[in-house]
Amino acid sequence: MVAFRSSDTSGRSTGLLLRCVLFSLLAVALMIVDKRYDHLGKIRRALSIVAYPVQLAVASPFEGWAWLRENLTTREALRSDKAKLEDELRVAEFRLQRYEALEAESRRLRALRDSTAGVGSRFIVGDIMDVDLDAFRERVLVDKGARDGVYVGQAVLDAGGVFGQVARVDQLTCEVILISDAAHAIPVQVNRNGLRTVAVGTGNLSRLKLPYISTAADIIKGDLLVSSGLGGGFPAGYPVGTVVEVKRDPAQSLADVVVSPAAALDRSRELVFVWLTPAAPSTPSVPAATPTPAATPAPPTASVPGAPVAAGAAPAAARVAGGVKK
Amino acid sequence: MMREERIRRMPVVISALVALTLAILPLPKVLDAFRPDFLVLVVFYWSIESPRAGGLTLAFIAGLALDVVHGVVLGQHALALTLMAAWATNFRLRIRVFSPVSQSLTIFAFLTGYQFILFWIDGATGNAVTSFGRWLAPVTGALLWPLTVGSLTRLSEHRSP
Repeated sequence: MVAFRSSDTSGRSTGLLLRCVLFSLLAVALMIVDKRYDHLGKIRRALSIVAYPVQLAVASPFEGWAWLRENLTTREALRSDKAKLEDELRVAEFRLQRYEALEAESRRLRALRDSTAGVGSRFIVGDIMDVDLDAFRERVLVDKGARDGVYVGQAVLDAGGVFGQVARVDQLTCEVILISDAAHAIPVQVNRNGLRTVAVGTGNLSRLKLPYISTAADIIKGDLLVSSGLGGGFPAGYPVGTVVEVKRDPAQSLADVVVSPAAALDRSRELVFVWLTPAAPSTPSVPAATPTPAATPAPPTASVPGAPVAAGAAPAAARVAGGVKK
Repeated sequence: MMREERIRRMPVVISALVALTLAILPLPKVLDAFRPDFLVLVVFYWSIESPRAGGLTLAFIAGLALDVVHGVVLGQHALALTLMAAWATNFRLRIRVFSPVSQSLTIFAFLTGYQFILFWIDGATGNAVTSFGRWLAPVTGALLWPLTVGSLTRLSEHRSP
């Protein structure tokens, strides 16, 4: 059953050894250069453009199927969808009415406190490509790249909350590392009391953990965690997850806290890329993680936020002062 | 001469492209860990069957392609695949006369060695994957070996009668 044709007589072992050593040295040199220096970015981008057709070919049948299903829905289904969406929109609009007032208030308060927590200023939406990168790492390939101004370290959200950050950028695509990847950590805050900590991925899509919570800390099951914006990588105030389990062992100094992510890490198809601008540009120590490499087109609103904040701050301060006098 | 070379290389290129496609085809999370290293099997096949058609150049290029699609440090898969393909090429005359079971076992050894080099470089570059699941791919790969040989032999004989 397993039969090879034994026609080949070439490939003397010395030649083989020579070529083996040559290619191995080349591979090692590539690894060192790729890891230590950043010169290979262009080569990698060129190679990834070559790989793009293969990735597209793999992804397109799935996208085609999704398209077909989208286009072959019945009138009834569309109608019920429309009704549902209208309901949701009504609720969302109702919520938004309060939100705008709250946002203005929060800006004023932040300006008073000279807070540097970043706010999202510009967004683009990307689609996850149906391509498997690695079975043991929580990463996805998205169809936005350097061409669209995406940069390494950029925050990525989905409809539910924080999804991850950009780990690698190619010309047409980028790789997003999920918050559940074992190598990922995100600064968070308990929404109820402001307790700050770090949420670390576990390699499991449905759970994160908080490894640095002391047993005495005030955290309970059901607490909502939001991004704290510390470190400047992520915008502040977006939901990261809810605490589903808190185990306190009196013999240990740290509690065992399990969090279920707010973003639909295994179901989302559309992701939102956020450009951050510091809320209070007057502060000299802007966090280093608002990278604006040459490839990134300057966000159109980059210079704008300073103005409303400053403008909002003055009347707010006046009002507070007025209130105190009264 | 040129013509002969051409005829020989076509099945190599086709099988490598198909294997690369299979390597990134989305699979359910449960099955993902069991996915055999298709491209590695193909490279091993050509290394054993006719080193002139692909040889270490094929191994190196296929490895680079895997590095790019997996988004790891450039050269990782290339190094592992080059070393293991050289080993397979060196033993090809013996492997050809092995029984199917012994062949699968030998391929299992090669695949494990390949996986070990990847594991080692993963650790050295600072993103170690210590999950046990990564050692499943050599097992499924070895089980798939007879099928790989069957289909690739058919392909090469069909293309170059």
